[in-house]
Amino acid sequence: MGHLMGKEYCLDHLVEVAKSIVLAIHKAPQITGKTKIEAEIIWGEDLEPILDVMEPVGKVMRYVQWDYETIKNCYDKGESPVIIAIGGKVSKSNLNWNCGACGFNTCKEFNAYSKEYKGGGQLGGPSCNWKILDWAMACDWACASAWQYRVDNRIMGSVGFALNALGFMPDMDAKLGLALGPPRDMVYYNRDEMHKSMSYEMDKKDMVNCVPNMFTAFPGGGTPMYKTKDDWWAPPEFMGVGYSEEVMEAYQQVLFEQVPEMVVKHADKIAERYKKK
Amino acid sequence: MKKYVEDLNFQGEEFIGEWTPWSPQDIRRKKCVLEAARLMVDSAFTAPCAGGVPSLEAHIVYGQEELEALARKIEEIAHTNESWKEPFLYEAVMVRDSDVIIFLGNTRCHETPLDAGCGMCGGTLDCGYFYEKKTTKHGLVDITDRSSDKMIDGPLCTARVGDLGYAVGSALWTAATLMVDARPFASIGMAGQKMGYCPKSGMVVGVPVAAKAKNPYVDVNVDYHLINMDKALDNTRKIYQTSRIIRGFDYRKWIPKPKKPEDSQTDGPEGGDE
Repeated sequence: MGHLMGKEYCLDHLVEVAKSIVLAIHKAPQITGKTKIEAEIIWGEDLEPILDVMEPVGKVMRYVQWDYETIKNCYDKGESPVIIAIGGKVSKSNLNWNCGACGFNTCKEFNAYSKEYKGGGQLGGPSCNWKILDWAMACDWACASAWQYRVDNRIMGSVGFALNALGFMPDMDAKLGLALGPPRDMVYYNRDEMHKSMSYEMDKKDMVNCVPNMFTAFPGGGTPMYKTKDDWWAPPEFMGVGYSEEVMEAYQQVLFEQVPEMVVKHADKIAERYKKK
Repeated sequence: MKKYVEDLNFQGEEFIGEWTPWSPQDIRRKKCVLEAARLMVDSAFTAPCAGGVPSLEAHIVYGQEELEALARKIEEIAHTNESWKEPFLYEAVMVRDSDVIIFLGNTRCHETPLDAGCGMCGGTLDCGYFYEKKTTKHGLVDITDRSSDKMIDGPLCTARVGDLGYAVGSALWTAATLMVDARPFASIGMAGQKMGYCPKSGMVVGVPVAAKAKNPYVDVNVDYHLINMDKALDNTRKIYQTSRIIRGFDYRKWIPKPKKPEDSQTDGPEGGDE
């Protein structure tokens, strides 16, 4: 007998759904049959370190800002999304296929390079491409499984970066995060949570910056004007290409100062969990 | 304007069976698998991808000659690398036992990378690892020299390769949902790429599909390239015929019968009346 009411039990059940999705992750087919995959489930207060790392990155990276604000807003409202961290051990090839996909003639040469540069990228790397395929299939099965449960979800590189920086799943090289729920429509697509975050001007500026050919006037002169306003000819505006100290400084500040600060704040506590394991 | 004319002659019957291979009933069964394969490809195109960028192409291949040519290409590749030899030879058998082959390829991984500086290809904080190993001008990759002594002309943009993995995963998810048998194979992908399937792709994965009593892609025996259903059937043809011709009788007049206990003292073979 029972009578479940409100939203609380739905939010609780998200964790159970996540567990079922992890079963799909481990059941996902592989090409090599030799790629180690791990998955972990994180929610509630344990999302805070991840959000702490995403926040500064979001200031210089729009897609990270979007992911960060969506998850943060839901969390602040007491509707914590559940994140499934999906990791793959991909930086060493035990295949001996010597296929060349990684850019080396042999797996042995790749492994020697990888040993030196392992983990240097924002999302890990270097990677054996066949193992990346295996891991990506596991990530895809996670997404497909979530859709079968009709839970709004999105696989996120932004979360993967935070997982990597904070030392989640230390044995894994490639990491992504699948954000699940809260249980309603349009959490991660169309993004209700972001409705007040973006002005028309901001959207338009992004479009001009990212898709400039949409706004290019007659290019025959060699230095085209750009149609950035209704009366774009009076006075005309032009676009320039050059090194931006401002942008690079902001990137570096985030990557080499603000993110490490958050990592120092949380990493030991996270590392402790793996020691106990 | 051409109008759609609805065909309301909805009558018919379809006899479908697995035996004998390439019989009308077997070809009808294969056509069902072809429908499933098409849905799998649809799923692959809806798979998540970095930045929502289209980068997938697909080829669906079927027919006795087409599958035989693919199997032979895999056998050719198998003998170029000791690590591939046995598994690839086994997988060539699986191709012959398949109904339809799907090839999924990523058209951007070798030419138009994500350019996001993720570092997954080379473990660096930018895309330098990829670009430094390619022929480029202003960040544009020149792929016109397609000669390569490697099976795959790397390095590839690993983020794009990940997108290919998502596509393959979604195709396989749909196969599982439709309960047709399918598995992803490197051997089939590489052979297909060399044969010109998915012509714009830098990396290709092959997904054979079948709907038979026994899943062709699991539970194989050792030396599968030598001992498999095709070979077993051929050996039956080889052995059984000879077994017939080393004895003979006119079945209209006399057929050998098992010995009856009371006649056990009688010498010679038992048989019906002359």
